[in-house]
Amino acid sequence: MDELELLKKDWETSSKNYREFNKEELYKLIYKRSSSIVKWIFIISLLEFGFWTLISLGFNGSEDLKKIQSYDVNYILYPLTILGYVVLIYFFYVFYKNYKTISATDNTKMLMERILKTRRTVRHYVIFNLVFMCISIVIGVYIELTNNPEVQILLNRIESEGDGNITVFYLIVVGLSIVAMALVSAVLIGFYYLIYGLLLKRLKSNYKDLKELETES
Amino acid sequence: MTSESNFVELLQKHQNIVHKICRLYTNDPDAHKDLFQEITIQLWKAYPKFRGDSKFSTWMYRVGLNTSITLYRKSMRRVESQRIEPVAYKLSYEEYDDTKDEQLKMIYAAVHKLNDIEKAIVFLYLENKNYKEISETLGISEVNARVRMNRIKTKLKTQLNS
Repeated sequence: MDELELLKKDWETSSKNYREFNKEELYKLIYKRSSSIVKWIFIISLLEFGFWTLISLGFNGSEDLKKIQSYDVNYILYPLTILGYVVLIYFFYVFYKNYKTISATDNTKMLMERILKTRRTVRHYVIFNLVFMCISIVIGVYIELTNNPEVQILLNRIESEGDGNITVFYLIVVGLSIVAMALVSAVLIGFYYLIYGLLLKRLKSNYKDLKELETES
Repeated sequence: MTSESNFVELLQKHQNIVHKICRLYTNDPDAHKDLFQEITIQLWKAYPKFRGDSKFSTWMYRVGLNTSITLYRKSMRRVESQRIEPVAYKLSYEEYDDTKDEQLKMIYAAVHKLNDIEKAIVFLYLENKNYKEISETLGISEVNARVRMNRIKTKLKTQLNS
């Protein structure tokens, strides 16, 4: 006899053995806290949006920004600030729209696709912010080098000391900027992969399994 | 009758489906209780979308399997749920001794080793669902469901003969 047929016979008889919950118990159960991954994705995504918004707000009120603003470079700062907020609103809108479409009543494949799509939106937002942050650092360094009077004095002094020194100075500035950008990006990307690696590992493997089935036949 | 009492009544009537899904996707009574709770929560959350154009039981298969395969995250709630409601979870778990005879015990063990998607296919098969229903629930084609079912049978045979 086929193994599954044997199992089916037992399945039908043994399924009567489960302990039945009464109505009162079921009422209590439906209002328990869910621990579904969609809930966690939503919470973590909101934290990510919040994190980047706080960083941008913190920078907006900082002494460094006030100093940079005093160089009369608003033609660069205003478009960057506006771009940051427009992108935030856009990504949050897309994220929320995708999140609302997630439904446990869809078929399994569609449900997985919708969850992954929602996640992808936040991932794109994080990538945008990392790139945006790197560009801002480059612009910030450039503004400092060309506008800060103290830096100008330093540059003149270095230049008067010898021809090669100024090149070394610029190389050091570029090197330090790259290290700073790489460090911040690495920490954030590492944190990101740790959280989502753990959270979505099973979902991704199941989704891959369904997709493979499709491509094979 | 309120929507809530309506739902609880239907759930009580069909709760065996949830138990059976938990039976396949968990290995111990604590995990069973935890998954049962999560499926119940997801069913209630999805209930406003239940329009009655399919049978409640069919709709439950879908939400229950989706929760087990995709939404469920093994939680740290297990300790908490035991502490809060000991009465609600006095389940009988003789089944987990994987009963009756040695062969069935081995088949159950082999099924537990299958991956999540394969378990879903086996579950629907055990529930007498045809390939069309299996394919609609999982979002794959009927041919794929059939192909995978044959592979599962071979896999189980190999496992049991090794």
